[in-house]
Amino acid sequence: MARLRATFWIYVTAWVVVVHLVLLPALYFGMGYVIRESHEDLFIEHARTFSRVLADEFEVGVALDSQKRIEDLLDFAITHGGARYAELYEAGHSVRSLYGSSDIKSARSTDLKFGEGGDGIYFVVRPIAHARHHAELRLGFDEEPTQERIQLALTRMIWLLAGYLAVAIAIAIILSLRLSRPIQRLQAVSRAISSGDYTRALNVNTGIRELHELAVDLEAMRHELVGVNDRLEAKIKEKEISEVRREELQKQLRHRQRLETVGTLASGIAHEINNVLVPIMLFTETALQDLPPSAAPRANLERVLAAARRAKDIVRKILTFSRELGEAKLALIDLREVVGETLHLFSVLAPPTIEIRTEIDESLPFVKADATLAAHLLMNLCTNAYQAMEGAKGMLTIGLRYREHADEAGMTPPRIELWVSDTGRGMDSATVERIFEPFFTTRSVGQGAGLGLSVVHGIVESFGASIAVDSKIGVGTTFRIFFPVVARLEAIVDPTTLVV
Amino acid sequence: MQNILVVDDEPDVRDSVKYVLDRAGYSVRTVESAMDALAELARNPTDLVITDIIMPQINGVEAIESIRKAFPSVRIIAISGGGNFGVTEYQPTAITTTAYLASAEKAGAHLVLTKPFETVELIRSVEQVLGVGHA
Repeated sequence: MARLRATFWIYVTAWVVVVHLVLLPALYFGMGYVIRESHEDLFIEHARTFSRVLADEFEVGVALDSQKRIEDLLDFAITHGGARYAELYEAGHSVRSLYGSSDIKSARSTDLKFGEGGDGIYFVVRPIAHARHHAELRLGFDEEPTQERIQLALTRMIWLLAGYLAVAIAIAIILSLRLSRPIQRLQAVSRAISSGDYTRALNVNTGIRELHELAVDLEAMRHELVGVNDRLEAKIKEKEISEVRREELQKQLRHRQRLETVGTLASGIAHEINNVLVPIMLFTETALQDLPPSAAPRANLERVLAAARRAKDIVRKILTFSRELGEAKLALIDLREVVGETLHLFSVLAPPTIEIRTEIDESLPFVKADATLAAHLLMNLCTNAYQAMEGAKGMLTIGLRYREHADEAGMTPPRIELWVSDTGRGMDSATVERIFEPFFTTRSVGQGAGLGLSVVHGIVESFGASIAVDSKIGVGTTFRIFFPVVARLEAIVDPTTLVV
Repeated sequence: MQNILVVDDEPDVRDSVKYVLDRAGYSVRTVESAMDALAELARNPTDLVITDIIMPQINGVEAIESIRKAFPSVRIIAISGGGNFGVTEYQPTAITTTAYLASAEKAGAHLVLTKPFETVELIRSVEQVLGVGHA
């Protein structure tokens, strides 16, 4: 069964109407009864009182003896007593007032109730006993004026009740509209909230406590939602940004790795070609020196030499090109971002046996470096660290701290220390001494080119930073890079280098 | 006559350098590895070693260090085709440029020479390292 869904004001008004349609007729009949009763009582009271007074008048003195007197009294009843019919009856002899209605023929001898008899006349019969007279005073009072008054009162009451009903309905409509307006506003806001719009503030000023409290609660809920929503949005945005940064960095790293590969390849080819060019150039030149100026093969040999020189130039150009691509672009950067982004990448590469931890100071000044190169060097150190722990469980810690004071190493403060620590195999002092040399490697052939740490060293030097190693066999290795802190003034003077 | 020892794993390079320097009036011997070079230095008096950098087993930089230690009077020219030219200081930042010649200089080479070179360059370098006015 479908349920009726009326708006609040229609609902309230309908109820008010229904309730009054039941109550008002009952009220009407109840009050009508009371009105009718009181009017009838008044009428009967008057009729009886008047008839008794008139009867007393007959009894006192000699009124019954005089026809004239009897007629006068009966006339008085008509003219001043409100009766329509007056008769004195004594032993078959009856005297009637001439003023009475001639239509009323038969007089009843007993009092009847108001409205009975069907003739609209109320009869009062009073016995008069005086000396030798035994008479009866018969008075008939007209019920119609009383009936009319009752009717008028009832009509007025109907109007009153109708007026009351109208006022009640009007009040119901006004009240329910006033009530439903804040509810509608609450509803609009809650609808907005449920459709995802948390910006509409709830401003419901109502004198009704329940509504007010509901509004306050809803507003609190909205605030909470706005907060949650903002936090969620911020989180999503943060994630998007870091994802974008990560992709960017990954792209840059891939690009750099490609360059490195190209560079290594170019370097290798250059090495081979240059080696080949040595005998070509030297033997050709000496052959030319041995030939007399007019000798026929001279021209050909000179072309060989020219070609060899061109080959040398080509190799040189290729190397210059790849070297330029690998140069650092220094800017003011936040090392924490570099660490964060590198960790993103590294956590994917690292085997699950290795636990990665960070110890990073809350606030750190900027340093002058190339973010991509810095990430590259950190990646190199991390890769070294996890290779040192290969096949075993281990812990890799990346740390960033601001060091204000000089330590036993005698470094000039202040500086920022970036360190990567592993719990790997460790190195002996002889190895540590040579670790940054190009082509130095402790790995077996095919595992590494031996350029990793020399590249790290080169990058560190290009930042004007320095690097130190602590290592103990069987305990682990810690690489520390010390970045000089960029003076605030320098940062202000040269804002163009700021990496956003 | 001054004695020169050429160390290179490429026979063509060894032979051509020897050929040029022989003609310039030097006594030139050749070996193909750093190990052989050290043995040769111990056997015969040598004024100058011309050594390649990238070689199997012991590389040129290590060889230079060893020679500087064992034979401090011997002059050294490092040659390499690794494409390091005009670089006067150690710069491995140039990732694609292998910086071994700079390393060689750091290790104690008196002069570095980029491969390929011409006869004039070779002879001038040798003269420069050995001091002008040789026999």
